[in-house]
Amino acid sequence: MSQDKPDIKEILVTVKQLLESIANKSQGGERYDALCGAFLLSVVDRELDFGERQDESQSAELKQLLGREGSLSDLYTRFCQQVRRGDMDEQWPAAFDFAFKQVIDKVSVTNPKYLAEIHRPD
Amino acid sequence: MAADSAQQTLIDDIVARLELALKRRYGEAASVENVAIATLGASNRTLLFDLVEPGSRRRLVLRQETLKSAVSPFISPHDQFEILKVVYGHGVLVPEPIFELEPQDDLDVGYVMACVEGETLPKTLLKAPEFAVARKRFAAQTGEIFAKLHAIDPGEVAFLEKVVDSIDPLAAQISRYDAYGEYHPGLDVGIRWLENNRPKAKPRVFVHGDYRNGNVILSPDGIEAVLDWECAHIGSAMEDFGWVCLRAWRFGNIDQPVGGFGPRDEFYQAYTSNGGQAIDEEEIRWWEIFGSLRWAVLNMMQADGHISGVRRALPFACCGRNTSMIEYDMLMTIEGHFS
Repeated sequence: MSQDKPDIKEILVTVKQLLESIANKSQGGERYDALCGAFLLSVVDRELDFGERQDESQSAELKQLLGREGSLSDLYTRFCQQVRRGDMDEQWPAAFDFAFKQVIDKVSVTNPKYLAEIHRPD
Repeated sequence: MAADSAQQTLIDDIVARLELALKRRYGEAASVENVAIATLGASNRTLLFDLVEPGSRRRLVLRQETLKSAVSPFISPHDQFEILKVVYGHGVLVPEPIFELEPQDDLDVGYVMACVEGETLPKTLLKAPEFAVARKRFAAQTGEIFAKLHAIDPGEVAFLEKVVDSIDPLAAQISRYDAYGEYHPGLDVGIRWLENNRPKAKPRVFVHGDYRNGNVILSPDGIEAVLDWECAHIGSAMEDFGWVCLRAWRFGNIDQPVGGFGPRDEFYQAYTSNGGQAIDEEEIRWWEIFGSLRWAVLNMMQADGHISGVRRALPFACCGRNTSMIEYDMLMTIEGHFS
C-alpha cells in the first residue's frame, strides 16, 4: 500500500465529490449515472472500513458451524449447498443467525441507513 | 457525445423501418411523427409515436425485446401479444393490441399497441398532489382488476402452461439464481424456509406475475392500464397479491403495503366482493418472502448484464450490491419483524 498522499480514502472522497457536483449540474440519465457512481464509491469506502473485519468474523463463524477449514468463498459455497440440501435443518437457528449476520454485514457496506436501528453499525 | 450520436442513429434506423412496417399495413400514405423514447430499458425498448394517416392521427407504442439471454425470465413478445389480446377482450384495463412485428418488418421481435396517457413513475405517483385521488383508489382498484384477471379461464392462455414459473415457481427462481454462480447465504436460508413452508395447492389461475407500482399507468382519476405482461403465467392467485405488496414496491411508504398506496383490507375486500376467491393471508406472506428471492435474482440478472458486458451501465452495477437489502427484507419478514 502506497504511503504517498493522497491516500485511498482521500482519492475516493475527491472523486465522489466530483461525481456529486456533476449530478447537481446535470439531468436525466447523466445525473442518475453520476449519482450511481457516487453511491458505488461510498460502497467501496465502507468496504475498506469494514470488509476485512467482516471477512474474519464470518470465516471464524463458518468454520465453527461447518466444522472444517477453507477460504471464505469455499465456506460460503459449502454453507449454501448444505442449507439448500437440508443438511443444516438440525442446526437451523445457528444457520439462520449466521446468514442474518452476513446479510447485515453486507447492508452495513451497501447502505447502512437501510438497517433497522438495532442492526446499524456503531 | 459519441454514445448519444450512436443512440440517435439507432433510433433513426428503427423509425425508418417502423414507417415501412406501417406503410405495409396501412398503405403508402401512412407515416410516423412525434417519436419519443419512453425507455431504452433492461429488457425492452419502448418508443412512442404518432401513426399519421390521411384524416387521422393515433398515438401508438412500439415495444421491442432487447434482452437476449439463455436465462431470461420473460415470456416471448409473441406470447405477450397473445395475452394482450385475451385480456383486452375480457375488459381488463390494458393498452389495445394493434399488431405484432413480423420478420419482414426487420424490427426484431415485438409488437405495437395503443398509447395510454398517464404516469408510471412510482415516486411521482406516491408524492404528486394531482394523484391524491388515484392513490386513494389504488388498493381497491387493484383488487377489482385482480378479480377480473383471475376469473379468466386459464385454458384461454394455455400456452403459458409451458412457462417454468407455471410448473414450479420456486424451482424456476432457484434455477435462475444458480445460473449466476453466486453464493448468498441469506438467499439460501430463505429458499430453505420457502421449501419447508410451501403453501397447499390452490386452484390454478392466470396471474399477471409482475403487477406492481411502476408497471401500472395512472391518471389523476386512478388506474388506466396494466402494463408489462412478460412474467405472466399460471399459478396461485395469491402470488399476484404477494408481489404487489413486496416491500421494494412500496418505495419507502412501508406502512401502505399495496404498492405504497393503500392498506391490505381495502384491497382484499375489493377482490372478494368482485368474485375473487377467499384471501389466504399466510400464503400471501409466503409469496412476499418468495418475491424477495425473485427480486434479488432479477437484480443479479441486471448486475450480470453489466459484468458480462452485454448491457454495461452504472445502475445495473448498483443492482448487484442492492441484493443485500432485498435479502435483509426477506429475512426480516421471515422473522416477523416486517409485514
